[in-house]
Amino acid sequence: MPPSSSPFGRGTLSIFPFLAEDEFEGACRALLDRVHAAGNANPGWSSIRLQRNGPILKISQSFPRGSEDLQNDALAQPLDQQDAQDSRLEACEEDSEALVRTSDTDETLQVDYDIVLSPSYQVPVLYFVLRQADKLLGVDAVYRYLVLDRYRENIKSVGIMGGISFGYHPVSGTPAFFVHPCNTADAMRDIATGRGIISPETYLIVWLGLVGNCLRLHLPSNLFAEDGNLRLESNN
Amino acid sequence: MAMEQATLNSIQKTIWDGHLSLSITLAPSESRKFDQTDPYLISYPRISYLPSLLPRLKAFFHSSLIDPAAYSPHDGWFSFENVALKWHYPVGLLYDLYAGADPATKSSDTESSSSKDASLPWRLVVHFSDWPGEELVRLDAQGMVMHDAFINSVKEADFIRNGTAKGIMSLSKDDSSGLWKAVQDVDLPAFQRIMNILLPSPSQPFRNLPIRLFLPLPPKPSSDSPSDSSPSLKVIQSPIPPTITLPQSQSQMSQSIILPPAPSRNSPGTGSPQPPLHSQPQTIGSVLHSILPNLFPSRRTPVLAKPVLHGAAVPMSASVEEVVRCSAYGDGWVYIVVRMMG
Repeated sequence: MPPSSSPFGRGTLSIFPFLAEDEFEGACRALLDRVHAAGNANPGWSSIRLQRNGPILKISQSFPRGSEDLQNDALAQPLDQQDAQDSRLEACEEDSEALVRTSDTDETLQVDYDIVLSPSYQVPVLYFVLRQADKLLGVDAVYRYLVLDRYRENIKSVGIMGGISFGYHPVSGTPAFFVHPCNTADAMRDIATGRGIISPETYLIVWLGLVGNCLRLHLPSNLFAEDGNLRLESNN
Repeated sequence: MAMEQATLNSIQKTIWDGHLSLSITLAPSESRKFDQTDPYLISYPRISYLPSLLPRLKAFFHSSLIDPAAYSPHDGWFSFENVALKWHYPVGLLYDLYAGADPATKSSDTESSSSKDASLPWRLVVHFSDWPGEELVRLDAQGMVMHDAFINSVKEADFIRNGTAKGIMSLSKDDSSGLWKAVQDVDLPAFQRIMNILLPSPSQPFRNLPIRLFLPLPPKPSSDSPSDSSPSLKVIQSPIPPTITLPQSQSQMSQSIILPPAPSRNSPGTGSPQPPLHSQPQTIGSVLHSILPNLFPSRRTPVLAKPVLHGAAVPMSASVEEVVRCSAYGDGWVYIVVRMMG
């Protein structure tokens, strides 16, 4: 991919491969704008919003339990075929009612992702909780329902991302899983090398491809319909 | 200005020797002798973690428990005035956060011994059922969860100090688990031997300083949906370099704007000619002022709030790098509780 083809606008990162606080917030806003612009296109998420206290980019999605049988290729697609009826997208900032519980049935799993910039590692960190009928599920369920087969060994063996820990959410203080971030900066540097200048939004999108993809947080491909040259899946 | 290594060592030893009197009772709903159970009393190191007490507490309360066979030690959790205590914080930090004790100062030996008595022994409740899963991460029988949390915290502090995770990654497996054992055993010599591998030498500055500020908020009552209510404390952290460089005129100006009425802010000597830029070590006061300017309008004097570390009011003029080297908790972090004055 030629470095000059980056479609995500200009802007340099002041402390690359790390991300500064204002750059993180700008990246979140740019991604939200992109989701807004996609309008009715269904991203498979039930909500995405930016919470100013943090800031935290919050993304929720629901999917039917049992869809782990559709592992790998099927899940690399947005989940729109699986729960089209439940995918009411709410893309808005500062909307306290944005969180939509998409279903009350026991067969539906809900995962709430919080993307927070770590002040220690100065990279985004993915926090998440997995619930079934409002009950928190443990690490076994996380590996079973959220981690794709092809990433499982990598993550369990403390591979590129250093594994999943159960700890405390840095803003809410409540228990949450997180993907350990100590190798994220190195991974971002490796991926971005040769791509030329990358903008804060590109950083966030590449990071989502790197970390989010491992945990079923997929960027809807239709967000980049006009940007056919960026294939995030190829990074893994 | 810099303190002698011997002084730093002696401060560190004093901190590791620090103990708290705890009086731990069994949750009344779990006791067959409702309200009559004797408390478990112990003088416990400030830097230690509460779950290490659980095997002893389970044994002590065995005959009082309604159903002792139903629970394991790692089912145990602690509360103070109905606030579930986060077990991954050292008990000294939890005490500074929640007990409401006045911090020790240079003059407090004579004047405030009576207020100390009110909060000591610290009265905690241990529970073996109804784990508050929305508030606390569950423990396991092998202690892996605690070990993982401790090492993650050590890694984070190391990353902040060095800008890479290579130090902790290159630590041998024996030394890595040895660090956790040294903290559990309150074995300062063993701790220092391993920490000396991790800490940059005094001649080599830190990249950033591992420091977190805790702002206590009024404790919230337990509710069915704690995720909907606000947290009972706010933890603040941002990248703090070990030195600050300020245009001299700007630093003077911002101080005078923020604090017009306070007298004699400038020390004698600032009237003499200054270079346009000056670099100085980050002090507790400069960190607090930069992160919480409303609570700490002055870098030198606590006006509205004071910083508390290991039960003592930290001098605003203390170099943060020296505080990190001698007064960090076992995981390498300096956890400062911000306490409102008055």
